[in-house]
Amino acid sequence: MTRRELFLQQSAWMAETDTPVVISSRVRLARNLEDFPFPHVLSSEGASQVEQTVSQVLNDTLVDKEQSYISLTELNRIEHQVLIEKHLISPSLSASSGARGVALAPDHRYAVMVNEEDHLRIQVLLPGKQLLESYRLATALDDVLEEKLDFAYRESQGYLTACPTNVGTGLRASVMAHVPGLVMTKQVQRVFGALTHLGLAVRGLYGEGSQAFGHMFQVSNQITFGKSEEDILTHLEAVTGQIVEHELQARNLLQIKMPMLLEDKVWRARGTLQNARLLSSEDAMHLLSHDRLGSDMGLLPKIKDGFATLIVDTRPGCLQYILDRELDLSQRDEERARLIRERIAE
Amino acid sequence: MLCQNCQQREAIVQLSKTENGQTENLFLCEVCAKQTHEVSFIFDPTIVPEFLQALFGVNPSLVEQLSEQACPKCGLTFSKITQAGKLGCSTCYETFETQLEQLLRRVHGGGQNVGKVPARRGVAIKNRMKERKLKEKLQILIQQEAFEEAAVVRDQIRQSEQAKGGEDHDA
Repeated sequence: MTRRELFLQQSAWMAETDTPVVISSRVRLARNLEDFPFPHVLSSEGASQVEQTVSQVLNDTLVDKEQSYISLTELNRIEHQVLIEKHLISPSLSASSGARGVALAPDHRYAVMVNEEDHLRIQVLLPGKQLLESYRLATALDDVLEEKLDFAYRESQGYLTACPTNVGTGLRASVMAHVPGLVMTKQVQRVFGALTHLGLAVRGLYGEGSQAFGHMFQVSNQITFGKSEEDILTHLEAVTGQIVEHELQARNLLQIKMPMLLEDKVWRARGTLQNARLLSSEDAMHLLSHDRLGSDMGLLPKIKDGFATLIVDTRPGCLQYILDRELDLSQRDEERARLIRERIAE
Repeated sequence: MLCQNCQQREAIVQLSKTENGQTENLFLCEVCAKQTHEVSFIFDPTIVPEFLQALFGVNPSLVEQLSEQACPKCGLTFSKITQAGKLGCSTCYETFETQLEQLLRRVHGGGQNVGKVPARRGVAIKNRMKERKLKEKLQILIQQEAFEEAAVVRDQIRQSEQAKGGEDHDA
């Protein structure tokens, strides 16, 4: 698999599932090497040593023989953007300097970041509601790496991390939820507001607050210490179930109270996506969200490519990477509209 | 019932917060409830360090007193850690254990570490944690006068202790 093939690969989490509302699940474990200071105080030689040690183990040990470690210093700006847009690296890993990188599974179901805020960030991303499955894979990867690496750990404090908000389990689990029904019935604040009181954090994925483009929100645990991994995951899973239920009720309400308006909205979205000649990134997300709502509710035929794939492939970095050339803002709007038209026609 | 926040309007919303098994209820009017929600639900990860700085620095005299103590491994002082909102290395967790205990209580609601134990290096730790859990269970069973079950748990503890003795002997 060449690097270009690896980067063009549809990430596992973007695959369409039968479950509405929950687009994907993500689990990450923060780990540090005992013998090195944490990345933010590490010298550049130290950072190179960590990268060398970890990448060696990543390339030797794992699981998928085809996985490859990629040093971020080797990548250009657009390649960085592609990895960020596919949620495989964090914007802060990309923005920092020095020796750092990511080990990617061929289908992107896991991505291990090296020298982010912690020496290792083991991430697993799966489609739909698969928190426990994601954790199982993450902890298996963790075990394989721990055979060769000495992770910083204390009996009283658990896995030690640069930021005390991650200490203990080092586990951050999250789900990405698509909730146009809650947005349209103005219930986002009511439903998500309650979650912060349950030790969970919510953020709009693209854009902020109730204006979140694409009506996508990420819900994650805040507490990493004093609870077991199982407790953290079961708690988030239970809350996710509630979110799904509220969203489905909202959709039901829309269908009962204003069926024509709803039908018009989703068909209008499909029509625009099929015919527009210029689409901004925000426009595209908004329309794709309505389109997805329509196909989830059986009002529209499904698009073969899927919601998450189209959202990600039409982000600026991915769009330029797919077309293999740099595009300015207006060229991007034109190419985005073209790409969506072609994919819907397939 | 009046709103527990403004004490003026009728409370119509009940907010329940559960942490470490303890539930706290708050009764609020619509206005106060909305305010809590509006300020609280958008999370910006970049502001975490600021809050942590505030949390680290809650007791200024303690910070002052310890600010000159430096971590023997990475050399960071507690005041440097406070500024960054991040620790320097694994040894910092040992050096500043007392201050961190307070912080972990504020951030995570306290409790003790009950998460995963490293598979290779954590065999002894795993056994100790298992024993601790069994002993807690034994206490509860005795209190409940469930003596038959308690005897089973007691035997499990004995077994685990014997196994440990065997390991020590082998070593």
